[in-house]
Amino acid sequence: MRTNYVANAGVRFNVFSQDQLEEMFNGVLHLLMYTGLDVKHEEARDILAKAGAWVDGERVRLPSYMVKDALRKAPRSFTLWARDGNPKHNIHIGPGRAHFGPGPTCTHFIDPETLERRPYTKADVPLVARLVDALPNIDFCESLGTVGDVHFDLGALYEFAGMFPNTSKPIVAWSYDKYDSAGIHEIAVAEAGGQRAFEQRPNYVHYCEPLSPLVSTFEAIDKLIFAATHRVPLVFTPCPIAGGTAPITGAGIITMGAAESWMGLTLAQTLQPGLPFFMGGVFSAMDMNTMILAYGAPELPLYMAGLTELAHYAGLPLWQTGGCTDSKTFDGQAMIEGAMSVFFSALTSGDLCHDVGYTESAMTGSLFQLCAMDEAIGYSRRIIRGIEVDDDTLAVDVINKVGPNNHYLRQPHTRKYYKSEYFYPKLLDRQDFENWESSGSLTMKQRTVARVRDVLATHKPSQVKPETMQVIEKVLAEAEDRVKDKK
Amino acid sequence: MSKLLEKMSTAILEGEAEKMPNLVKKALAEGTSAKEVLENGLLVGMQEVGVRFRAGDMFVPEVLMSAEAMQAAMVVLRPELAASGHKQIGKVVLGTVKGDLHDIGKNLVGMMCEGAGFEVVDIGFNVEPENFIEAIKNHQPEVIGMSAMLTTTMRAMGHTIKAIEEAGLRDRVKIMVGGAPVDAEFAKRIGADGYGSNAPAGAELAQKFVGAA
Repeated sequence: MRTNYVANAGVRFNVFSQDQLEEMFNGVLHLLMYTGLDVKHEEARDILAKAGAWVDGERVRLPSYMVKDALRKAPRSFTLWARDGNPKHNIHIGPGRAHFGPGPTCTHFIDPETLERRPYTKADVPLVARLVDALPNIDFCESLGTVGDVHFDLGALYEFAGMFPNTSKPIVAWSYDKYDSAGIHEIAVAEAGGQRAFEQRPNYVHYCEPLSPLVSTFEAIDKLIFAATHRVPLVFTPCPIAGGTAPITGAGIITMGAAESWMGLTLAQTLQPGLPFFMGGVFSAMDMNTMILAYGAPELPLYMAGLTELAHYAGLPLWQTGGCTDSKTFDGQAMIEGAMSVFFSALTSGDLCHDVGYTESAMTGSLFQLCAMDEAIGYSRRIIRGIEVDDDTLAVDVINKVGPNNHYLRQPHTRKYYKSEYFYPKLLDRQDFENWESSGSLTMKQRTVARVRDVLATHKPSQVKPETMQVIEKVLAEAEDRVKDKK
Repeated sequence: MSKLLEKMSTAILEGEAEKMPNLVKKALAEGTSAKEVLENGLLVGMQEVGVRFRAGDMFVPEVLMSAEAMQAAMVVLRPELAASGHKQIGKVVLGTVKGDLHDIGKNLVGMMCEGAGFEVVDIGFNVEPENFIEAIKNHQPEVIGMSAMLTTTMRAMGHTIKAIEEAGLRDRVKIMVGGAPVDAEFAKRIGADGYGSNAPAGAELAQKFVGAA
């Protein structure tokens, strides 16, 4: 027992001071009150106007009490549930907890057999979901691609239909429009056992993306309304590009991007008080030479860390970004960029960190990047767990007992802690030269490829209920029918 | 009877030293021969330990627990084995070479060799080449194990091997070397017969030398 003794449960890290956070928080409120956003959805403007917003044409300005009220209603802590009830696959959102998963909508994919870059197809979806299901440090699922070999309007629906039976980890689902959203929801509700059961234990999160700068697009808002009225936890994630669609300074992009999220927050909490809501998203630099949105730039983890602190200051969970790269292949660049952003994300405990497995600046999804980052996340999680200090870990008695010129390998203390104290790598090599050579002189890439292929060949996720499979088939058939005359 | 042997190999695998004396006594009391206890019980467990360690499914602290369980069993079994005229699989002389005071790694190799069924003679650290020669003459081991921890002392391994050659004893022993700065290439250069990168690998090498693995 001790009095007034403060312990750090993990490694401490922060970007902003309390004063800076207060200044930025009020900057966002100021921006929403005096500049406002264009909300390209008439019904949403009516709802917001009725709730107290100032509406001029498409421009919606929010008096700050409305935003504060929405922040008060939104929960900081809640659970996303594994569809099969596996407690290891539940995600508990709350302070100090970082979770990781892939991103959506890359047009291309690294073929797991040929290792060549090619368009993403329907057949790739189950592979991603099964790998996600198996990797110990990947917590939620997105598909790493836009399904290219189905009707243009049905990519998102086929994606969810392919992911849902192949992982029981919670899924974050994007969609083109509310028809997709409805189909996705029907599948998830079937498995949950009805709308009411779903509301109590949601097994997926709905993803919407507004436009920077300062536009709430019709589709984003339309999907938000669907999610809010059906009580689906929501990610509302802008993708502002510093120097392009956002101010070039970190403080500027964070303030503006937060305002874009909080317009969605205010609408969502007006429609459904208490709806779990993640502010987002991907905040990074436009490369001033190539004009790409840089997924490997140091500004991405830095801006995302700042944004995470602002979100947590405001009492919201964050949709983080990391584990991604601008590299076109599995190389040193991919590992540096991916590992650094993953580590930073873990340090901030941004609540759901997505885009793990993105390569080529989000153009190409890679199972191999995802698998290597699983290792980087495990590594990072070990560091952020910090150093525990108590009588037992200080080991004064053990040091005294072993004394000089002896060793600790046979101590019960060593046996008690060696598993929990260390991170045991699955891909990083620590053999001596001879053993490394005799086991084939394998590089990190070769070991990663082998692990991915091994998981894909052996891992079996838990099955969905038979009636859910029927619902999936029905939803896809109805969707095909809906678009059959559309080009 | 075979169930008891199975229990024994499992207890070795689980590193349950406190269970071993009773298990061995019980098996002997039931009429199982000491040789059978060793070969079909204890060594079966230790072999599995080796397999799991190499596969990365067991780690050094667990391997040592198994070796300790083996030692605990051997305390009871050794007199019985001697009485029945059973020979251990071989004899290993271990020492840290001249100028080097580090003996942790060497001690671990010793434990693992005992676990593998060897009689181990530990001649300590900072061992002069002459003392290695003397030990070969006195103990007549099949295997000599030398350890060095430092780049400055690893040369002494070469000097020791040379001294053994000059004494005309080189053909009588297999020599294995190990230690932090040592590798297979160095072992070859100084004329050793093999190199073990860690304690279980050292014991495995010794087994190979006597044709037991």
